[in-house]
Amino acid sequence: MNALWEFLSFSDPNIRYVALGSVLLTASSAIVGSFTFLNKKSLVGDAIAHAVLPGICLGFLMAGTKNPLALIAGAFITGWISVILVEYITNKTRIKEDTAIGLILSVFFGIGILMLTVIQKGGNASQSGLDHFLFGKAASLVGSDLITFSIVAITLLVVVFILFKEFSLLAFDKDYARSIGLPVKWIELSLTSLIVLAVVIGIQAVGVVLMAAILITPAAAARFWTDKITVMFLLASIFGAISGLSGAFISYTAPAMPTGPWIVIVISTLAFISFFFAPSRGVIGRYIRQARIRKTINDENVLKIIYQLGEENKNFFIPRLTDEIIRKRFYEKAALVKILKRLTRQGYVERTRNLWGLTEEGKNRAQRIVKIHRLWELYLTTHMHIAPDHVHEDAETIEHLLTPELEEQLEQLLGYPKVDPHQSKIPYADN
Amino acid sequence: MNTALEIHDLTVAFDRKPVLWNIDLMIPQGKLVGIVGPNGAGKSTLIKAAMGILPLSSGYVKLYDQPLESVRERISYVPQRESVDWDFPASVMDVVLMGRYAKLGLFKRPRKADKDVAIDCLKKVGMEGFINRQISQLSGGQQQRTFLARALAQQADLYFMDEPFAGVDAATEKAIFTLLREMTNQGKTVIVVHHDLQSVSQYFDWVVMLNTRLVTSGPTSKTFTSENLEATYGGKLTLLTDVADLMRRENYPNREENVIKS
Repeated sequence: MNALWEFLSFSDPNIRYVALGSVLLTASSAIVGSFTFLNKKSLVGDAIAHAVLPGICLGFLMAGTKNPLALIAGAFITGWISVILVEYITNKTRIKEDTAIGLILSVFFGIGILMLTVIQKGGNASQSGLDHFLFGKAASLVGSDLITFSIVAITLLVVVFILFKEFSLLAFDKDYARSIGLPVKWIELSLTSLIVLAVVIGIQAVGVVLMAAILITPAAAARFWTDKITVMFLLASIFGAISGLSGAFISYTAPAMPTGPWIVIVISTLAFISFFFAPSRGVIGRYIRQARIRKTINDENVLKIIYQLGEENKNFFIPRLTDEIIRKRFYEKAALVKILKRLTRQGYVERTRNLWGLTEEGKNRAQRIVKIHRLWELYLTTHMHIAPDHVHEDAETIEHLLTPELEEQLEQLLGYPKVDPHQSKIPYADN
Repeated sequence: MNTALEIHDLTVAFDRKPVLWNIDLMIPQGKLVGIVGPNGAGKSTLIKAAMGILPLSSGYVKLYDQPLESVRERISYVPQRESVDWDFPASVMDVVLMGRYAKLGLFKRPRKADKDVAIDCLKKVGMEGFINRQISQLSGGQQQRTFLARALAQQADLYFMDEPFAGVDAATEKAIFTLLREMTNQGKTVIVVHHDLQSVSQYFDWVVMLNTRLVTSGPTSKTFTSENLEATYGGKLTLLTDVADLMRRENYPNREENVIKS
């Protein structure tokens, strides 16, 4: 706990730098990655991430030290080559994109590991720490490295800000973008460069192997919460930043621990929370809505049965025994009583000892359901020429669903008919 | 009669396989034009090629007697509704504003005036009540109207529309037709890929009948005849299809000059 407090107080300047750096890198990767996500190119991000490893080794071999600029340049070059190769293979051969990505990813990563091993065995003292690029080490983000990487991150954010309108249009409707004469090739080129750069700087914190997670997961998680693209990008960057910060904390408290896996665990947790708990798109939200619909259907069916019993006696307000209702349509007694109690609470049903009767409001609601049911049956027979003995099931669902506007349309279309195909009277609210 | 669109000896190929062969075509200004033909006839390909979205294997396209590049701001394109993912995080307003991007140019954000135009166009298609609605929540007819509003926001003179009547309700179809009629009455040219043969005579002044080659093109009253329909829809040109497949298999160039170049 003390360590957390010490970390969060940011009293140690080193902690400040590492935290700031990690947040900047992960947030900018998340923002650029959001476009990969919207373009449905998530796997390309993964291919690039793996393909930068040989570039980093190459940069190191050229410079002889871990000069960040040399590493970035090398990574940028091999990252780009991988994109070009994936595109070339997809366009010029019958191999599909997913296979091409799989091929390129493993070939480049294999070469990268090979080069890394050679360098490590080579005895160059300054190579130590190069393997941090595999799984990430946020704590190594200090000094001039931090400055270089931060400048790249800020450049990314600025370019995304400037080209936001164009990037979004391309993700939504590329043909249209071409038709209005936008330089689609150039815009795509700059987006790919941004992705490569985001990967190149992100691997400091996350590492090559898990880099795709920080590109894609924040966007995927953010999408659950909103339908607005700007809000989605904001959320993605916040999710990215949170995971970056936690990665920095781990790296600070347990220096032997690689940062990448921790960042991925945090961002994945955020994604799972979004997946389950996001209000409109989340799984639980959907489930609750479904349950509410089922409740409404059950309630309205019971009201309808009491109403139909009333039709037989020409009096809708006679209180009924549960057995009378069950005779008309089977329910488990306990379940039925539960529904009746709910309807009583809502004021649609009144209870006198073991008898249940409709209130005025209950009668009106039931009447509307019965009316829609019969109107819909008539509509199916007259307008869709479905046999009268086949229309009941369909009307059973529609009666709960129809909005007042559609209900009115239906009435007008049919001209307020008196009876349904089975010669049952259609009850209107006025009489 | 002034020409809106002229297509000369146009061939378009996918993966070496020609889907349009040697199209020669002229369409006058101010007409409501229907492009009809069976599935796979190359109707969408024709307008995509005309808009420069697809590369041409041979031939050229002229709009208002000029190449596309010099008159692009006078041309608008409405893609097929199904060609985009409507689950994209955007509102109706966002989509219609895209119609202003050509006028805005790169880097610039939509201004107040662009929003005014967008709202105006949404009113024209009867979508003013849906300005802030998420596009994922629109019905098929509303999606189509949104695309039309985006095209209108370009304030163009020539409109290419890929199946604007596909999968829309009767009310939307009527509203769209009325709108297109108004546009042609103002001297604009509207070229529509169309599927429903029933409504061709009623809707269009001019009809282009297509089945990988051009069957015929002309005023609907003279052109839309049963013989031409027979030629467009009946009797597949099996030999032509076989040759096209062969070109794809053998990886053959579509024109000999391509060989000399490479």
